[in-house]
Amino acid sequence: MRGRAGRSLSDRPGKAGSSEARPILYLSEVDVRKYSFLWMLFPALLLYTVFIAYPFFSSLGLSFYDWPGIGPKKFIGLSNYKNILSGFMAPEFYRALGHNIVFFIWSLILSVVPGLFFAFLLSADIKGTKFLKVIYFFPNTLAIVVVGFLWGLLLNPQWGLVNQLFRVLGLGFLAKPWLGNTSTALPTIIFVTAWRGLGFYILVYLAAILGIDREMTEAARIDGATEMQIAGRIILPHLLPIIATTSMLKFIWTFNIFDIVYAMEGTQGGPAGSTDVLGTLFYRIAFGGLGSSQVGMGLGATVVTLIFLLVFPVSIFYVFIVEKRVERGE
Amino acid sequence: MAKRFLMAMLLLCLMMPAWAQSKPATVTIWGWRAQDVDVWKSVETALKAKGEQITIKYEVFPPTEYDSKLLVSLQGGVGPDLMYTRRLPGARTQALIDNSYLVPLDSSVDLSNFDNVSLSFIRSNNKTWGVPFANQIVGIFYNKAMFDKYKLKEPQTWDELVQVAETLQKNGITPFFVSGKEAWTLAMQNAMVGVSYPGDAWIGKLAEGKAKFTDPEYVNMLKDLNALKKYYQKDFMANTTAEQDVAFAMEQVAMVFYGVWGNTNWLKTNPDLKFDYFPVPPKDKNLPAKAYIYMDGAYGLSSASKNKDAAIKVLNYAGTKAYGELFSSTTGEITAIKGVTMPASKPILVKCYNKMVTIASTNRYWVGSPFDAGMPSVYNILQENMQKMYLDQMTPEELAKKLQDGISTWYPAFKK
Repeated sequence: MRGRAGRSLSDRPGKAGSSEARPILYLSEVDVRKYSFLWMLFPALLLYTVFIAYPFFSSLGLSFYDWPGIGPKKFIGLSNYKNILSGFMAPEFYRALGHNIVFFIWSLILSVVPGLFFAFLLSADIKGTKFLKVIYFFPNTLAIVVVGFLWGLLLNPQWGLVNQLFRVLGLGFLAKPWLGNTSTALPTIIFVTAWRGLGFYILVYLAAILGIDREMTEAARIDGATEMQIAGRIILPHLLPIIATTSMLKFIWTFNIFDIVYAMEGTQGGPAGSTDVLGTLFYRIAFGGLGSSQVGMGLGATVVTLIFLLVFPVSIFYVFIVEKRVERGE
Repeated sequence: MAKRFLMAMLLLCLMMPAWAQSKPATVTIWGWRAQDVDVWKSVETALKAKGEQITIKYEVFPPTEYDSKLLVSLQGGVGPDLMYTRRLPGARTQALIDNSYLVPLDSSVDLSNFDNVSLSFIRSNNKTWGVPFANQIVGIFYNKAMFDKYKLKEPQTWDELVQVAETLQKNGITPFFVSGKEAWTLAMQNAMVGVSYPGDAWIGKLAEGKAKFTDPEYVNMLKDLNALKKYYQKDFMANTTAEQDVAFAMEQVAMVFYGVWGNTNWLKTNPDLKFDYFPVPPKDKNLPAKAYIYMDGAYGLSSASKNKDAAIKVLNYAGTKAYGELFSSTTGEITAIKGVTMPASKPILVKCYNKMVTIASTNRYWVGSPFDAGMPSVYNILQENMQKMYLDQMTPEELAKKLQDGISTWYPAFKK
């Protein structure tokens, strides 16, 4: 591999004819410049390997072992997968998986629909828009644990503000133990999650709306199109790629969800497992949960691997979509 | 001048034995209890007063991170000289023993100040692997002013307990506050009722496989427990222990099913609160009421310790009555050491310590029991399914069957 110009690395002084004189890798200065990006990639690659790749493959390997977290590991083949998918852990696993799916569907609806609605309103550039943007985005700046704590106070059945408000408004029948009832606990957590993330969706959709060529909407208005027609036939089609992207992000985030459930219902995903998701199930299995003495790192690693197998194809598809959009210059 | 010089030399000679007694050493201790910081400072002072040149470095980690941090460090060849360990049976401490990270203490530490119940929680393979630091007692804590106002006495039977609750409710007082949102408290409630209601002896038969969770004794207990919920605060399934602490301390409820550790928070919130303790009464008046006692944890010696001699001296001190008194007066908790005088300023500790010594149950099926040594444990099954029972999504019979079927998958005595 000889370069087109410049002095090659083989021109370095050395014993002529000896094996030391022959370079193992022959690179010209041009080649060095050309491949210098590899050196620049190295730090990121190192970090990725240490903090992402190694833990993942280590966890994948661990899923084939029985291991309480210390001492020798006992190889048990696919037993952990069998226990999770069709054994004694199967009911809990499928229940948690179902909750993740419900969580995804409803939090998507509660994020996209109001997100688009408020983005449309804010795009009208009315007075106070900047202030409203800050207000909408504010919950996003709060740590999830703080959000969980605050909503825990607001939803307290005896003296929480939410139930008090319902009673004052004459809607006492709506005053419920929101987090203590199996039929309301999960919807409540989904609502709180959507509330916290709404500002992000508003800002993303607003940026996309503002990026649409104004000439198109103005031309439509001149041709007699109503605002609803403009929104439905011009703006919404332009937003579809960004809606697809945010939906995939939502899917990935939802299947990795743990903190908000932990903050509002603890590791048990209570009451009676009605808010248990894959993240809390993993935590309980791997670390034993509060007070329990039983731990199973191998079984926990199996849950993590299964979450990865669910999320990975969507992540790849997401990257593919983003790449396509970049190529099209969107 | 010469006289002064001679005096100084004499003083020096007198001090020599003390210096020679021990080399300066730093003993590192890892634990999850932030409330013990002052305890270890006092231990260091006490040891130094005895001429031991030991400095104690106590490092506290959040309880949720402690076990992982300890395991990773020990496997990496680093870690403390002494470590807080969880009770046995339990996978975490058993793994430390099985992998030789802990040293048995029977020959190096004087454990004569502990009773067998406390030591049973840290014994395995006929060896003792730690020095117990605290015992917990769980039961019913009640507001004395409310009991006095309505001339109520500590109930001796389950039916009397129901009568007490009925009287309180009729007078507009919420009899019980239950934090149903935190499932572990319901498992604990079930277990503390269990030691008295079907009774200590029945649990002993259960452990031997001669009784079943589906037996009438246990199912009736579940039925009565479920019936008691009409005396709990409204919407109790959405309440937490933090809310329970406030409600009890602020005298909004008469009774709580809880542990003695709650007293610190209650008194912090309301220093004037007058409260007392009684064990859950038995159904049958001929059965004795029993208190559910469990050891909270122990101090273990690391096999990798480079300061073993000094660490053993610290452990020996942690097994003395002086340490027991220091521990209880500093933390407001009950030491695991017997024969200790509880601080008179904390009457609840005096009462609970007395109950611990006199009516501790010898058999149990919650934490520190053989039923907690496999998967699924009684603890795990009770947590979720007690919530289901209280939410009327499961009958007491179904809960009993769930326990029996779950434990039968691994518990040897049930497999026969």
